[in-house]
Amino acid sequence: MVRTKGYPAALDQKLQDTRLHNDDSNPEFTKNVKAISRTTAHMCYQCGTCTGSCPSAPRSTYRIRKFMRRAVLGLENEALTDPDLWLCTTCYSCSDRCPRDIIPTDVIMAMRNLAFKRDIIPVNFLKTVQSIYKTGHGVPNNDVNRAAREKIGLSRDPPTTHMYPEYIPGIQKILDHYNLKANSDRIVKEREG
Amino acid sequence: MVEKKKTTTKKTETKKKDTKKVAPVKQEIKKQAPVKTGPSEKPRIGVFICHCGTNIAGSIDIKDLEAYAKTIPNVAHTDNYQYVCSTPGQKKITDAIRDQKLTGTVVAACSPRLHEPTFRTATKEGGLNQFRFEMANIREQNAWVHMHDKEGATDKAKDTIRIAVAKASLLEDLTPKTVPVEKAAMVVGAGIAGMQAALDLAAAGIKTYLIESAPSIGGRMSQLDKTFPTLDCSQCILTPKMVDVGRDSNIELYTYSEVDAVEGYIGNFDVTIRKKARGVLTMAEAEARGIIGGGCNGCGDCDPVCPVVKPNVFEMGMKPRKAIYINHPQVVPLLYTIDFDSCVKCGLCVTACGPERKAIDLEAKDEFIKVKVGTAILATGFELFPIEKKTEWGYKKFENVITGLEFERLICASGPTSGHLVRPSDGETPKRIAFLLCAGSRDNTGVGKPYCSRFCCMYSLKHAHQIYEKIPGAQTYIFYMDIRSFGKAYEEFYYRIQDEGTKFVRGRVANILEDPKSKNLHVYADDTLLDRPMDLEVDLVVLASAVQPSEDTNRTRKLFGVSCSMDGWLLEAHPKLNPCGTTTAGVFLAGVCQGPKDIPDTVASAEGAASAASIPIHKGEVELEPYFATCIEEKCAGCGMCVNLCPYSALALVDKDGRTVMEVTEAKCKGCGTCGGFCPGGAIWMNHFATPQIVAQIDAFLLGGEQ
Ligand code: SF4
Ligand code: SF4
Repeated sequence: MVRTKGYPAALDQKLQDTRLHNDDSNPEFTKNVKAISRTTAHMCYQCGTCTGSCPSAPRSTYRIRKFMRRAVLGLENEALTDPDLWLCTTCYSCSDRCPRDIIPTDVIMAMRNLAFKRDIIPVNFLKTVQSIYKTGHGVPNNDVNRAAREKIGLSRDPPTTHMYPEYIPGIQKILDHYNLKANSDRIVKEREG
Repeated sequence: MVEKKKTTTKKTETKKKDTKKVAPVKQEIKKQAPVKTGPSEKPRIGVFICHCGTNIAGSIDIKDLEAYAKTIPNVAHTDNYQYVCSTPGQKKITDAIRDQKLTGTVVAACSPRLHEPTFRTATKEGGLNQFRFEMANIREQNAWVHMHDKEGATDKAKDTIRIAVAKASLLEDLTPKTVPVEKAAMVVGAGIAGMQAALDLAAAGIKTYLIESAPSIGGRMSQLDKTFPTLDCSQCILTPKMVDVGRDSNIELYTYSEVDAVEGYIGNFDVTIRKKARGVLTMAEAEARGIIGGGCNGCGDCDPVCPVVKPNVFEMGMKPRKAIYINHPQVVPLLYTIDFDSCVKCGLCVTACGPERKAIDLEAKDEFIKVKVGTAILATGFELFPIEKKTEWGYKKFENVITGLEFERLICASGPTSGHLVRPSDGETPKRIAFLLCAGSRDNTGVGKPYCSRFCCMYSLKHAHQIYEKIPGAQTYIFYMDIRSFGKAYEEFYYRIQDEGTKFVRGRVANILEDPKSKNLHVYADDTLLDRPMDLEVDLVVLASAVQPSEDTNRTRKLFGVSCSMDGWLLEAHPKLNPCGTTTAGVFLAGVCQGPKDIPDTVASAEGAASAASIPIHKGEVELEPYFATCIEEKCAGCGMCVNLCPYSALALVDKDGRTVMEVTEAKCKGCGTCGGFCPGGAIWMNHFATPQIVAQIDAFLLGGEQ
């Protein structure tokens, strides 16, 4: 950033050129997102049906339509560094209704994958990885749940790794195969010390 | 009444006369002695390679191709040019025929569809018979599909030219046949397109049969209230035309009728019309049965006594009708119809009609009428896409979600509410109204339609205007993706509607939910310009539903041999240069059956179709390609197996000089080649596609040019 003489840094920041320039677009990004998501991400015509359907949108700044636009234009940095990328609930409402037959949810998943490759990921997602590694569950069972289950006549633990912990090593093997645990541990350590 | 009777009698006379005038086709055709061997002189073929700008030259090496063409046997001359179809290009052909004493020509260029006639003319101008020309398609089937493989494309083009030269070397002189054209036309569908086409044909002095499947004419336009952007009332501009159609002595109107069968070809279509059992006699029909002064006069005495109540389709089911009915008071013809699917045959209407009029016949049967026409126009129109299939908008689930066509009836003075727009749920006047554009259009999900329905933007703008005309204090919202106001004075209309207070929301509606108590609707959408999701409560939602071809379109088009595109719209001969024609000679398209059109475009297309359909009729005769089968009588064993194979019943066995041989009715033969390929004795010669010619082509391909 070019500093203007006598201006405080914050003002400089505010006055910086925000126009879209040719080199903001990376055509490879559009191609990659398409390849990973296996949906026609470049065909979005910005109708807004997705954002109108999105349960996350009314309660946050997350706009799926904006990410679709970034996919079309190849705005890689803008898409991958936007913290809103992690606010999709993967409910697939947008995918149900998109008139262009695109699956925006899978576009978001593709972008998250690409972001993770650059170590861009919120810590809570990494903690989920750690929890899965440890227990086989993103959200493990707890005593409140156990009591509730018992009350309606279910077993205290569900028939998952909670009941069959002997399968946990298998899950760990899968996560290790993708280096997910090691990467998560590394990033969490970097962030939290 | 008396006048009307006279007209009808006159019509019948004209019809009789016309039938007499036309001589049977077979006699008109001069029998031509077939040439059974190739031309005797040594073939000298000229090959002309077209660059088609860069269309061909961009993916095929023209120099290499021409050098190769010189080496093909029988090639006496080669040339190439940027656009062979241009004047200088054609001159190359005519000059070479004269200077090089060519016996045949090959043009390697586009598909024969557009330019075969061009190059035939050039060949003829050079002094050869026009059928001594063969086209090698190196564009559509080569350059365009092998754009990224120049070497492969060039090799393929060499094959194509070699094959064409092989055929051109064996081509023979042929004379096109001319047949007389019946001085009558048919128009199928009597909406605004069909009516306009019929009126134009009639005004040009052509007897026109106008066929309409509904009991009355006027089509979709007669359901509309006002029309954009001029806001003139649809009825006011349409009714006079309907009356004109009803009284034009050149128009023979068949309502409640459909085309049942079509035989023949341009100039001579034999069409069977099915007059569906209507159960009510016109005055003329009554007179024909000896009921003098009887027949339906439209008094409506039958209506109140009929005990059967059904929804009125014309009113989109929002008004009842009886089993004996007219759709609305202004129908043309003013003639009742019995819906025999719901009639209980109680006979109460017969009594009400009375012994003088005696208009009702409960035992009526379908009638079949045969007519002969020279040309035909299809104007079968459209219907709404069943928008309930897009479940997220709740049509047919939420009472206060209606379609644009229902809105038209509700706002129309002659509609079920006498023009008072009300909510279906409680009859209240809606104050907050949302219009949803592209409802089912521009939809690639496979549920809706991928195309733009083209007139919904504009009619929704008009609807918004009508709300402000009738409901003070109302607020309208138009949910849109793009406003397509491309016609004359349309953008100005858009300006006006925004100025009147309509809020335009750029966002496609995600879904609608109903408040079960108030029956109000919550419209969920993304205001994409504000980048903010919205939840808008409204009293009424109007869906600008997509349109699709009318129900009977597919059946009718098959009868006339007309193709359709993937979405069912009828296919024009050329989207730009021949939008009213079809690939079936003598059959034309008018209005929305070819693709969505607003009223001005529909009328223009109808007038175009009428003009095109009148040309062969005014010429009086048409040329037919001489591609029919001929019998080589010396070889024919008279087995007759071909006779049953012919899909067009063009063949028969006859006795000639004490022998039984096959004979072809040339006018019936379409040159399909079924018989020629089958004949075990090789006794059938298909003009222009004869066995030696085809074999030479196959050899040229398989032997790669070796002799
Ligand atoms: S619904 Fe589909 S086409 Fe519309 S904005 Fe979202 S992704 Fe794009
Ligand atoms: S899948 Fe994600 S982006 Fe799509 S509607 Fe659900 S939360 Fe929103």
